[in-house]
Amino acid sequence: MSSRSRSVSVPFYHRAWTFFGSLELTSVVLVLMMVLVLFGTLEQVHLGTWLAQKKYFSSWLIFYELENGGRLPVFPGGYTVGGLWLINLAVSHVARARWEWRRFGLLLTHGGLFLLVLGQGLTQMWAQESQMAIEEGHSARYSEDYRHVELVVIDTHLSTEDVVHAVPAALLKKGRPIQHASFPFKIIPKQFFQNSVLKSGSGATATMGVGARLNVLESPRVTSDDEMDTSSAVIELVGPEKSYGVWLVSTGLETPQTVVIDGTPYLLQLRPVRHYYPFSLHLKRFTHDRYPGTDIPKNFSSLLRLVDPETGDDRDVLIFMNNPLRYRGLTFYQASFGKGDKLSILQVVKNPVWVAPYLACVLVSLGLAWHFVLHLARFRRRAA
Amino acid sequence: MRPRPSTLAVWGVGLVLAYGLMSARTAPSPDRLWGDLPVLSGGRVKPLDSVARHSLLVLSGKQSVRMNGRPVGATAWLKEMVFQPDVADTYPVFEIDDPDVLGSIGMASGRQRRYRFLDLQPHLSELQTQSERAGAVRPQLRSRFQKALLRLWEQVLLYWRIQNTLRLTGPDSELPGVTGSVHEIEAYQTALNERGESTAARPVADMSSVLSAFQARYQTLADRAEFRVLPAGAPDRWASLGQGLLDGSDGSPLHPAIGFYARMGDACRSGDTAAFRQALFDYRDWLGEHVPGASAQGRREGLFNRYQAFYKSLVLYVIVCGLVFLSFLRWPAELRRTAYGILVLAFIVHTGGLVARMILQGRPPVTNLYSSAIFVGWGSVLLGVVVERMFKNGWGSLGSAAIGFLTQIIALHLAAQGDTMEMMRAVLDSNFWLATHVVTVTAGYSATFLSGVLGVVFILRGVFSKGLEEEAAQNLTRMVYGIVCFSAFFSFIGTVLGGIWADQSWGRFWGWDPKENGALMIVLWNALILHMGWDKQVGRRGLMNLAVFGNIITALSWFGVNMLGIGLHSYGFMDKASLWLIVFCLSQAAIIGLGALPARFWGSPGTVS
Repeated sequence: MSSRSRSVSVPFYHRAWTFFGSLELTSVVLVLMMVLVLFGTLEQVHLGTWLAQKKYFSSWLIFYELENGGRLPVFPGGYTVGGLWLINLAVSHVARARWEWRRFGLLLTHGGLFLLVLGQGLTQMWAQESQMAIEEGHSARYSEDYRHVELVVIDTHLSTEDVVHAVPAALLKKGRPIQHASFPFKIIPKQFFQNSVLKSGSGATATMGVGARLNVLESPRVTSDDEMDTSSAVIELVGPEKSYGVWLVSTGLETPQTVVIDGTPYLLQLRPVRHYYPFSLHLKRFTHDRYPGTDIPKNFSSLLRLVDPETGDDRDVLIFMNNPLRYRGLTFYQASFGKGDKLSILQVVKNPVWVAPYLACVLVSLGLAWHFVLHLARFRRRAA
Repeated sequence: MRPRPSTLAVWGVGLVLAYGLMSARTAPSPDRLWGDLPVLSGGRVKPLDSVARHSLLVLSGKQSVRMNGRPVGATAWLKEMVFQPDVADTYPVFEIDDPDVLGSIGMASGRQRRYRFLDLQPHLSELQTQSERAGAVRPQLRSRFQKALLRLWEQVLLYWRIQNTLRLTGPDSELPGVTGSVHEIEAYQTALNERGESTAARPVADMSSVLSAFQARYQTLADRAEFRVLPAGAPDRWASLGQGLLDGSDGSPLHPAIGFYARMGDACRSGDTAAFRQALFDYRDWLGEHVPGASAQGRREGLFNRYQAFYKSLVLYVIVCGLVFLSFLRWPAELRRTAYGILVLAFIVHTGGLVARMILQGRPPVTNLYSSAIFVGWGSVLLGVVVERMFKNGWGSLGSAAIGFLTQIIALHLAAQGDTMEMMRAVLDSNFWLATHVVTVTAGYSATFLSGVLGVVFILRGVFSKGLEEEAAQNLTRMVYGIVCFSAFFSFIGTVLGGIWADQSWGRFWGWDPKENGALMIVLWNALILHMGWDKQVGRRGLMNLAVFGNIITALSWFGVNMLGIGLHSYGFMDKASLWLIVFCLSQAAIIGLGALPARFWGSPGTVS
C-alpha cells in the first residue's frame, strides 16, 4: 500500500524523467535494436537491401500488411528506436551528471555514440543518392536517381535551351489535377504503377501516343538491388478548351513522346529523377585492371575533367576505389562500369551530415583512451 | 634440483616441433623440388605444390589421393596430371556425394565417394547439358541438385584445364611424325627458321601450312591452360606454355623454360627418373639465376605448405584440452602447468603460420573467411594465455584451446574451396583498412567467443559437477566480464572503422548490409551485457547465459550472413556449413537452457546465487 501511495505522489514528469534515464530502458532499447536488426537483415532475402532498409530502419513503425490491404503496426521502426535511444542516452547522462574527471572518458564516449546515432538518423532522412553515367569522351552535368521517378514536360520551342518542368511521382500518385502557370495544359493523373509490365495489345487506357497500343499490368516491386522498377502512369492532358488525350508514360518507354499544343511541340516522359549541377564532369579515361590470368578486378579508376564556370575550376580529377571526389557538398564514388569498359558509373551522394561519424569516431576514441589511461594510472598507483 | 615433469614434457613437445621444421627445410628430393617450381596461378606467383594442393582440395576435399591403398602426394599427382594424363585419369579424385548428381550419370550412391575421371568420361556430354540448364537459373534460386551439378562440372573443367596446361590431351597430344615434346619443339623451331625459305624438298606454301598447324595447336594450348609456367619479372608478363610458343612466331627466341618442361615431360613419360631429375635440377639452377625472386617465393611457400603449422597447432590444442580435463581428476597442478606450456607452444606455432602467411601474401592477417577463422582462434588463444597467466586455474587454457581447435577445424573446411591466399578484389585492396577494420572486428569475434566459452565452462562445470568452488566461480565471473569489456571495445571500434571504410568506398557510412548488421549485433550484445552487469540487472548466472548467447550472435554474424548470399559483403558464400551453424547454435541454446535451471538442479548450487 505504501509504495502505491508514494508512486501516486511523485509527479508525472519526474517519473518520466526517471523512466527515460533508466538503465533498464537502455537494456530494452538495445534488445529492441537487436530484434530490429535481426529481422531487418533476414527480410533482405525477400525484399532486397533497399526496400528492407526503408521498411525497418527508415521508418517510425513497422507495419504488417494484411490480406485485405490494411496495415497493422507491429514493431517500432528504426527512427522510433533510435529516437528513444537518443533520449535515453541524453537523459541518463544529464540525470547522473557529476563532474568528475574519472567519468569524463565515458561521457565523451557516450557523447560520440549520441552523435553517431543522430548522424545516422539524419543521414537516412536527408541523404540523396544518385548515379552519374559517363561514356569515355563525353561529359555529364546531371545524375539520376533510379529509385525515384518524375514526369517531365519539356518545352523545346526556345532555340537556345530546353525548358524542363518536372512533376514528382508523389503528385502523380495522389491523383489530384496538376497545374502550373507555364503549362499550356492541366495534368490529370489517372493511374500510377510503382512497378509494371508493358504488353502490346488492345484494351489500352491511353488514347494517344505509343501507349494507345500498350496494356499496363501492375507488377510486384523488384527486390534485387541491381534491378529497377518499371514505373508507369496514365495521365490525361486537358487544355482550357479541350482534352489532348490520355497518355501512357513509363520508364519502360525509352524515347519521350511528343504532344503538339497549338503548333508547339512538348516532350513528355517519365524518367528517373535528375539532379542537375552547375559544373560538368568529362570522362577522359576509364581503366579496369584485372590480376593476370584471372577475372578478379584489381582496380577501377576514372580520370575526369572537372569544369565549373562558377568557381573557375578546370582541372583533372582521378576517382578510384576507396578514393572518392568530394566537391561542393557532393561525393563521387567509382560505383560501376559498362559498355566494354567504355562507360563509367559514379555514385553521387549528397549527405550534409557525412562528417558526423568521423567526429563521433574521434570523440569515442578520445573517451576510451582517457578511460583506459586513467584506469592504468590508478592500477599502477595501487600496485606501487 | 630435478626438473619438474611438466617442464620436461613441454621441452619434449617443443623439440619435436623444431625437428619437424628442420626436416621440412632440408633434403630436397625430386618431388619436393618439382613442387617448389614457381608458376603464376590465380593472379599470383606460387609453387606447383600450392596449385596441386588447392586443386586436389577442390576436386576431392583432401590434399592427397589414395591409390591401391597407398597415398600419393599432391605434387606427385600433379606431375601425372600434366605429363601423363592417362595415368592420372585412373586416380579417384572426384568427390561426388550428391545422390541426385550420381543418379543423373547413372551411378548409385554406394560406399564409394570418390570417382575416377574414367568413370565420368562416358557421361561428359550429359553433364554439360545439365550444367548449361542449371547455369541458366539464378544462383539464389538453384536447387541442391543444380548447385552440386554445377560444382561437379566446374571440377571437371578444372581437371581438364590442368591436364591441358603443358600439352594437349587426347588425340591431339602428339603431332603426326613427331615423338615427344623435345622433338616437337625442335620441329617447331625448324619450321620457324625455314619460314619463307623454299627448299628443293618443300615449297614455301607447304612450310607455312606446317607453321599454321603448329600455331593453331599452341593457341588452343594457351586458351586451355590453367596456370602460367613461363616466369618473368613482373606477374603480368608471365606466360602459359602455349603463349610462350606462340610468342616465338615473330622470330624471338623461345622462352628457356619451355625446353626444361619439355625435357621433364619426355623423361616422365619414358620413366627415366635420372633424366627427369637432371632436367629438374637444371631448371632450378636456371630459375635461381634468372628469376631469383619467383624462385625464392616458390621455395618459401613450399616450406609453408609442408610444415602445416595450423594443423600442428590444431593437434596441440586437442592435447591441451585433454590435459586440462585430466587435471580435474589427477595431478591438478602439474597437468595444468603442462597444459599451459603446450598452449604457449601451440600459440607460437599458430603465430608462426600466421606471420608466414602475412609475409607470403604481403597483407595484414585477415583477408578472407579462411584467414578470419585462423585469426579468431589466434586472438582467443592470445587472450587465453594472458588470462591463464593471471588466474592460473586452467580455465583460460581450456577455453582458448577449445576455440583454437574449433576455428582450425573450420579453417580446414574453408580451405577446401581452393587457394586461401587469393588476390583481393579491387574494393578490398587496401592494406590500411584490412589492417585496422578487419583485424579489430575479428579480434572482437575472438574475445566474444572466449567469454562465451568461459560461460559454457562455468555452466557445464557448475551443473554437472560438485567441483565448481566459490573462488573459481568468482574468478570466472571476473574473467568473463573483463573479456566482454575487451570485445565490446574491439567490436565497436572495428564496426565504426568499417563504416568509415564503407563511406570512403561506397559513399555511405552505414547501409544496413547483412555483414554490417552482424557486426552491429555483436556490439549491441556486448553493450547490453556490460550495462546489465554494471547495473546489477543480472547476477552471475545471468551474465554467463548472456555470454553464451554471445556465441550464437557471433557465429551468426560471422557465417550466417554469408549464407544469406546478399549484400555487398557476401564474398565468402558456402552451403555445407549451414547445417553445422545450426547445430552449433542449438548446442549453445541447450547450454543456456542448462544455465537457466533452478539452483537445486546444479551440482554446485552454491555458485549460482
